[in-house]
Amino acid sequence: MTKYAMAIDLERCQGCRACMEACKIENATAQGVFWMYVFRLEGDTYPDTSITFLPRPCQHCDNAPCVKVCPVGARFKREDGPVLTDSDRCIGCRYCEVACPYGVNYFNWRKPDRAFFSYRVDWDDPDIQAATGGNIPPYRNPTLDEPQGKEQRRTAGGTHSKGIMEKCTFCVQRIEAGRLPACVDTCPVNALRFGDIEDPGSPIRDYLRGQANDTWHLLEEAGTEPSVVYVGGSPPSQGQSEFEKPEGRVRG
Amino acid sequence: MKAVTQRHVDLPQGVGKLTPTWIAFFAAMAVISAMGAAAWSYQLNDSLIVTGLRNLGTGGGSPWGLYVAMDVYFVGVSFAGITIAAMIRLFDLARLRPVARIAESLTVVSLILAGFTIMADLGQPLRGFINLFRYARPQSPFFGTFALVLAGYMYSSLVYLYLASRKDAAALADYENNGLRWYHRLLAMGYKNTPEERERHRATSFWLALAIIPLLIIAHSTLGFVFGLQVGRPGWFSALQAPAFVALAGVSGIGLIIVFAFLVRLAIRGQDRLLPLGLFSMLGRFLMVLLFVYLYFMVVELLTLTYASPATEQRLSDALLFGRYAPVYWGAVIALVGSAVALGIMALRRSWSLGWLVGIGVAVNLAAIAKRYLIVVPSQTHGMLLPYDVGTYWPNWVEVTIIIGLFAFGALLLGVFVKTFPAVPISDDVPSQIEEVGRA
Repeated sequence: MTKYAMAIDLERCQGCRACMEACKIENATAQGVFWMYVFRLEGDTYPDTSITFLPRPCQHCDNAPCVKVCPVGARFKREDGPVLTDSDRCIGCRYCEVACPYGVNYFNWRKPDRAFFSYRVDWDDPDIQAATGGNIPPYRNPTLDEPQGKEQRRTAGGTHSKGIMEKCTFCVQRIEAGRLPACVDTCPVNALRFGDIEDPGSPIRDYLRGQANDTWHLLEEAGTEPSVVYVGGSPPSQGQSEFEKPEGRVRG
Repeated sequence: MKAVTQRHVDLPQGVGKLTPTWIAFFAAMAVISAMGAAAWSYQLNDSLIVTGLRNLGTGGGSPWGLYVAMDVYFVGVSFAGITIAAMIRLFDLARLRPVARIAESLTVVSLILAGFTIMADLGQPLRGFINLFRYARPQSPFFGTFALVLAGYMYSSLVYLYLASRKDAAALADYENNGLRWYHRLLAMGYKNTPEERERHRATSFWLALAIIPLLIIAHSTLGFVFGLQVGRPGWFSALQAPAFVALAGVSGIGLIIVFAFLVRLAIRGQDRLLPLGLFSMLGRFLMVLLFVYLYFMVVELLTLTYASPATEQRLSDALLFGRYAPVYWGAVIALVGSAVALGIMALRRSWSLGWLVGIGVAVNLAAIAKRYLIVVPSQTHGMLLPYDVGTYWPNWVEVTIIIGLFAFGALLLGVFVKTFPAVPISDDVPSQIEEVGRA
C-alpha cells in the first residue's frame, strides 16, 4: 500500500519561500492565497534573538478535523494519503477551514475572473500575453481538475470555482504522474522530501531513518496525526512572532 | 369559551380586517425585505467576496461571521414555541394557553429565517440545498443544524402548529362575512369538531409535543457541538458549550415571545381578557430562571477560560475581556445581569410591569445576538494555534442589509399570520385536567 508523506528539514530550510512561489505557479492560486506557506519567525529578544523558518503545507492528517466536520463528505482522505476536496460536492460552508488548527484552507471568495490574481494586472501587456498564450485569465489547471486516483473524484483547485474550498493537494496531479509536488521539486536545499512512507526502500524512509530521534509533528497535541513530519528545529512557540507577513489580501 | 357560531359579526382579533396601521407595517416590512433580497442577489451574483468575510490565518480575517452568529441566534429563538406548548401540556400550565400559538408561530418563523441565513452563508447555496440532504453525514455537527433543525424540527413544529390551529380554522370558516373563508376551510380540512376528532387531536399533539422535546434538546445541543467539539479553535472546545447554547436559546426565545405577545396585545381588542398581565408575569418568571441558569454557565465558562488556561486561550480571553471585543462582551454582560436583577426585583415584589418586561425581552435578545457573535468570531481572529497575526472582521453593509431584511421578512410573515388567523386561540383547544385555571 502506498501512503504519501512529506518530511520538512528545518535545519536545512532557509526561508527563501521558493516553495511558495512554485506552489503559486503550479496551482495558479489567487492573490493572497498560500497553499504552501513559510513562516518567518523572530524569537526572544536582543541579544538572544533567533530567526527560524517554518514551512506550512496542508498536513494531510490521518485523523483530519476537516474531514470529520464536512457535512456533505466533500472533504475526503484518499487511500494513499492526500486529504482533498471534491469540487463537485463542496457547498462552501467553510466548516473545514474553521475546524483546521493549522489554517491551511483557502476559500474561493470571488469568481475566477480578470481580477482573480489582482486588479493591477494589465492583461493586454505583451509580456503577459506571451506568458499566458492569450488565455485570460490562466487560472485553470486542467490536469488537477480531472478525476484523480483510485477514488476518481475531481479535486478542488483545478478550476478555482467560486464558493468552494481549496487547499494544498500534495500536487495530486503530479504524484499521479510519478512526479514530486512542486514545492518539493523546487526546494533548492532539499529541505522538503516526499515519498511513500510505507515502502521501506523509498528515499523518504531512508532519509527519516537517519533522523529517528529528531522528528516531530506540528501541533501534536491536537491529535490530528499529520502526514507531514518535521525534522530538527523546534515547534513554534508563543514567544515567537512573525515578520514579513503576507501583504496580499483577497480584495473585494 | 365555546366554539364560536356567531354569524354576520366581525371575525375575532381583527382577522381579515385591513387597518391603515397594518398596511403601513406590511408595506414597510416588504420594502426592507426587498432591500435584503436585493443585497442577497448582489451577493449571489458576485459571490461572498462582497461580504466582510475572509480567510483566517494568512488571510487575516474570519471565514464565519455575522451569518453564522445569526443562524445560531435564529435557531435559538425557535426554542420558545415548543417549550411553551410542552409546558402547557406536561405541567398543565393552563394559564399559558393564550400565548401558545404566538410562541409556536415564532418558532416556525425563526426556523425559516435560520434556513435563509444558512443559505446566505453558503458559497454554493443551491448546491447546498441538495447536497446537505443527499450526502448528509451525521458525523458532522452540522448535520444537527441543517438536517435535524431545518427538516425534522421545523417540520414537526409546523405540524404541531397546524394541529393546534385546525379547530380554530373550522370555527372561522363558520363566519359568513369571512373574506378568507376559502383559506380557513382549506386549513380546517373537513374538521367537524366531533368528540372523536377532538380526542384524536389531543392525543396526537400530546405525543408530538413529547417527541419534539428530545428533538429540541438535540437540535440546540448539536448547534453547540458545532463549536464545542473543535479542538483547533481556542475558546470553543468545552463540554459547557451545548448546555449553554440550550440555556441562551431559552432566554432569547422567551424574551422574544414576551415582545411579540406584547405587540399582539397592542393590536387586538379585548387584550386584557385575552392576554392578561398574569400571563406575562409567568413568562417573566420563566425567563428569570433560564437567565440565572445561563449566567451561572457564563461565570463557570469565564473562570475556565481565565484561571489557568494555555497561552492560546489567554490571548483569546484578553481580546474578549479587555481587548477589541470588550465593549461587546461587557455590554452583553450588563444587559443580561441587569435583566436578571430587574426580573428578580419584580418577582420578589410580585408586581410586574409590562413595559419593563418588554424592555428586558429586547435587552436579552440583543445580548444573545452579541454572545453568539462573540462565540463565533474572536476564536477565529484571535484563536490561531500557529503564530499567525491576529485577524480583523467587521460585518459589512451587504451582510447587515441581508440580516435586517431577514428580520423584516420574519416580521412580515408573523404580521400576515396574525392578520389571517387569530393569534390567541379562540376555542379551548388545549384540554386540561384542571379546567378554567387562570382564565381571566
